[in-house]
Amino acid sequence: MIRTLLWLLAGVLLGGIIHIVVILALPYFATEDVWSRVAALQAIDKPVVLPVPKPGEPNPLRLDPDMVYAVCQVNLADGPGVLSGTLPDAFWSIAVYNRAGAVIYSTTNRDGIGQNLDLGIFNAAQTRLLAQQQLDVAEGLLIVESPQNNVFALVRLAPPHPAMRARYAEALSQLECGNIQ
Amino acid sequence: MRFLTHLLLMFAVALAVGFGLSWYALSDGRLFGAYRVGPWAAWPAAGSPTPDPYTRAHIARTGALQLGQSEGLEFVASTDSQGRPLDRACTYRVHGTTPVASFWTLVAEAQDGTNIARSEGEEALHSARLVRNEDGTAVIFVGKRLSPLNWLEITGEGPFSLALTLYDTAAFGGVGSGADTLPAIDREDCA
Repeated sequence: MIRTLLWLLAGVLLGGIIHIVVILALPYFATEDVWSRVAALQAIDKPVVLPVPKPGEPNPLRLDPDMVYAVCQVNLADGPGVLSGTLPDAFWSIAVYNRAGAVIYSTTNRDGIGQNLDLGIFNAAQTRLLAQQQLDVAEGLLIVESPQNNVFALVRLAPPHPAMRARYAEALSQLECGNIQ
Repeated sequence: MRFLTHLLLMFAVALAVGFGLSWYALSDGRLFGAYRVGPWAAWPAAGSPTPDPYTRAHIARTGALQLGQSEGLEFVASTDSQGRPLDRACTYRVHGTTPVASFWTLVAEAQDGTNIARSEGEEALHSARLVRNEDGTAVIFVGKRLSPLNWLEITGEGPFSLALTLYDTAAFGGVGSGADTLPAIDREDCA
């Protein structure tokens, strides 16, 4: 009897180890992750307005039907990434994601940026050049330091009314995105 | 023979505990990582640059575009305030206050994230377009049958969940942030 209980206890301990391994390994084995979904949009060095699924359509990225989204993917190995443009006077926010789908930087236009979006994404080496003033950037540029080279930025724009969606999507597609050479 | 039985028993227990616990921890974050208040669950670390292992597994598992920490926070409820799973055959009354935010949206979605609102109707409820009481609170009805005030009409059969997304929110912002002022979900009659 005691021996059976010991075996069961060993099973529970082994189960705990399996649990920890599963939790830690899951991100490395996920194939349908956010990066592969965004990469499929071909938004390299240009903004792509995401189609928000209608009711009844699959919504893998879990987009909010009340928002308009634009995504842009940059590789910092080709130079610092930059995302700039003028957006409508409504709530908007920006998030920079890494390869794992974690948000490395986010802000909203309520933080005093107003209507002008001017964001630069730099990797560690480029940040050092920036600190040594060997990299020429425009004044007022919002500087984001990224540990990795593969990043994408997502702009969320909130139209006050659904009738404004088309115009707001147009404004998002006018954003400039790419590498500083 | 006895040894073999014990060995098989141990592996069965290990597999059940290991994978069962993992699944349980990642559904609404019932063990670690998630913040739960009433029927609502949120992953506050999902928008942080260095999420904890459970949140990282959750991000990988959903494959969704997470809201950054300064952008907002999404709460999901798949049960009512009494703990019963949300069923599309029933009408639900969502009422009460919400944490401080610039605005919020309420979406009814199926298990896989598909929006289940009627396609010709409102796809989501927006906090700026609600009928409100004199004290600023709003009563929202979610269900298939015609309802007064604010009605989010849904379609289909089976379970569903409600996603409440707070944009530019002060929830988790410290003192008086009001993360515990989320609305209650009460079941009305079922068809």
